[in-house]
Amino acid sequence: MTLVDLCNLLINGTIEGLLIALPALALTLVMGVARFPNAATGDYMTVAAYAGIGVQAWGAASIFLAGLGAIAAGAAISIIFYLWVFRALRGRAPVASLVASIGVAFFARSMLTLFVGHDQQTFNLPLVRAWNFGGVRLLPTDLYVAALALIAMALLFALLHLTPIGRQMRAIADNPDLARACGIRSGRVLLSLWAVVGALCALGGMMFGVKAVVSPELGWELLIPAFAAMILGGIGSPIGAVVGAVLLGIASELSVPFVGPSYKIAVAFLLLLLVLLLRPRGLFGKAILSR
Amino acid sequence: MLLEVNDVRGSYGGTDILHGVTLNVGNREIVTIAGTNGAGKSTLAKAVIGLLPQVSGRIEFAGRDLTGLPVEDRIAAGLAYVPQVANVFLSLTVLENLKVVPNVRDATTRIARQLDAFPALKPRLRQRAATLSGGERQMLAFARALLTQPTLVVLDEPTAALAPSLVQQVFDLVIQLPAQDVAVLMVEQRARQALAISDRGYILDQGRVVLAGPATGLLADDRMAKLYLGSEH
Amino acid sequence: MIAYLIAVGIIALIYMLLTIGLNLQYGYTGLINFGVVAFFAIGAYTSALLTLGGWPLVPAFVVAIIVAAIVAYPIGLLSLRLSDDYLAVVTLGFSEVVRLAIQQERWLTHGVQGLPGIPRMFLSLGIGDYAELATLAVLVLCNLAAIGLMLHLVRSPYGRLIQAIRDDEVAVEAIGKDPRRLKVQVFMLGSGLAGLAGAFYAHFITYLSPDQFLPLVTFYVWIAMIIGGTGRTTGAVAGSLILMVFLEGSRFARDWIPSVSEVQMASVRLALVGLALILFTIYRPQGMMGSRR
Repeated sequence: MTLVDLCNLLINGTIEGLLIALPALALTLVMGVARFPNAATGDYMTVAAYAGIGVQAWGAASIFLAGLGAIAAGAAISIIFYLWVFRALRGRAPVASLVASIGVAFFARSMLTLFVGHDQQTFNLPLVRAWNFGGVRLLPTDLYVAALALIAMALLFALLHLTPIGRQMRAIADNPDLARACGIRSGRVLLSLWAVVGALCALGGMMFGVKAVVSPELGWELLIPAFAAMILGGIGSPIGAVVGAVLLGIASELSVPFVGPSYKIAVAFLLLLLVLLLRPRGLFGKAILSR
Repeated sequence: MLLEVNDVRGSYGGTDILHGVTLNVGNREIVTIAGTNGAGKSTLAKAVIGLLPQVSGRIEFAGRDLTGLPVEDRIAAGLAYVPQVANVFLSLTVLENLKVVPNVRDATTRIARQLDAFPALKPRLRQRAATLSGGERQMLAFARALLTQPTLVVLDEPTAALAPSLVQQVFDLVIQLPAQDVAVLMVEQRARQALAISDRGYILDQGRVVLAGPATGLLADDRMAKLYLGSEH
Repeated sequence: MIAYLIAVGIIALIYMLLTIGLNLQYGYTGLINFGVVAFFAIGAYTSALLTLGGWPLVPAFVVAIIVAAIVAYPIGLLSLRLSDDYLAVVTLGFSEVVRLAIQQERWLTHGVQGLPGIPRMFLSLGIGDYAELATLAVLVLCNLAAIGLMLHLVRSPYGRLIQAIRDDEVAVEAIGKDPRRLKVQVFMLGSGLAGLAGAFYAHFITYLSPDQFLPLVTFYVWIAMIIGGTGRTTGAVAGSLILMVFLEGSRFARDWIPSVSEVQMASVRLALVGLALILFTIYRPQGMMGSRR
């Protein structure tokens, strides 16, 4: 492998990682505040990406409008399933919400394939050529996508640290009983949380769709990588999720020359196992993982 | 009476812990609930604040029936709570611990006033609460609980995690509360020291009130000495 | 008609084996296995590849069970270090990796082209149509044996210990038994049953391909267990029969409503599975038959 190849792999891995960071953030937020691994995360991405495709199909050529449509759809589906399913399961063991979230994932995906079909879709985008810096290639689309992901993360961190609702989310994540004893009403906080989670998933789904194609399995296939990124970074730690995702992205790109592109999920899984065995709290997390 | 607890029974994880506790707290009164480990003191505090899932009996506060109300509504009604452990949000900064409390009128001024009352917190505003010492955490927890201008604050073993040198400091804080129109229901294991600053006291044993009365009377009662054989300093 | 009923019965009994295995893992020990299909696939491919390589059926079945159980060993060990929901994620990830490996390792599994011509059971006896009936009978016996084993486990001191693990791990440690070893053993036992189910499946369908081992299969088994009531021995039987009625019913439904394509029907089936998982966890967490607890 030459230095140029290595640079290309690193760039691709970083961009891929920044995108995985979005669902990983969604997972870690739900894990931290609502306290269960939300297996429907990936399918929220898929539904939102198809919503974006739908906006374009309805005649709005602007990819920006498609993105807004996707975010609206992502937030909506996330809130709907919170109100219907996860709110009813609060106070029960996390297992209940986890099993139900698999149900939500299947249900959301099935509605999608029933009404939209199984065909792969692509976003209408102007074709652009990659910039070439002496062999190191960079697609402008990738750059935009990565920049948008970074902006979304900056907004999320601002929300969490600078707004009252964000502080309350962190307080509930830190100590739910104390939060209640401070008079924090979790209903409103959770509604905002799920809206944010849906928007993050939507953005992630949209960007993976822009980079490649939109298919009904788009999000489900990213679930394990997103989990791996979350656990690598440390559960409940937003910064950890981002760092974990970028490391995962780079690791899986670097593995391509050795195991081929089709084993990316396996690389994520292997990383997940290693972290669980060697450092279960992840890079930035508290030790809430092990018994 | 400000708080009236009537025949409260409660269980925790399937085990009955409170077997019908009746007690009351008046306006601007300091009331101590003492008792040995496992007597049900903390469970009683949780029952009053609403953090105990299975409770029966009646709890009235300022003439209002609290039974069945969630914690958040009890806080809104004028109760405040300082838990025994995990009494601050460790991952939030000191300032955030105060700012996170909702429904505080004139929050900025109130927070400034609380910080004047607890000057030790001032240089640490931007630090995570996890970096505070046990005594500082207790101060932060007090400051936070008083933000909502409660009429009754429930303290669950406020001195339990503290070095002996700090214990009196906390009791000195408690003494000042009635002057701010705050009544105190304090669960304490250090019965003598707590009763020394209290108006009245209840002694709990195995989920029942076994002794009650004015603090001075309890301190003189030799039945208390018997109950406390070995566990009092 | 008879042949159809036998075929449906065989599939139902295969699901029953899977459900008994999962019930052992989750219903009795609280181990969340979201990767049932992985052990099912491992059993199926192991037995198929061995028999295609010339092995007789019986040893191939035995090896299928053993391989599935051995693969479960490290995951069972890992489960000791993880809280319940992480084991779920790990097993789910594992099942996806197994499916991926089946897809990719063409030299062994023929990848997406699939593995055809797997020998049927009892073919060598020359009993013709009765071969399937014999398969059904053997499956009934295996299920009875599995249920017997399970009842035996539940009623033995060992079994009470297992249930104690679910309820209170600390207490079990206090009486001096090692709950950790028991947990791993139960996980291996349940996975071995899944491997056996896989072997039956391979030799009944006679053709294997990776898309028969989607995560959906895992959750069919979960639904069967949840409907029957987790931790109930008879629940596994009732649950897998109800599941079968549902799966076959959805096939008939399509015959009656010809305007629905097979692809759409697959979506409807997925929707109903999702809905069942949601509604049961919210409204009937103790299953359709009530609770044993």
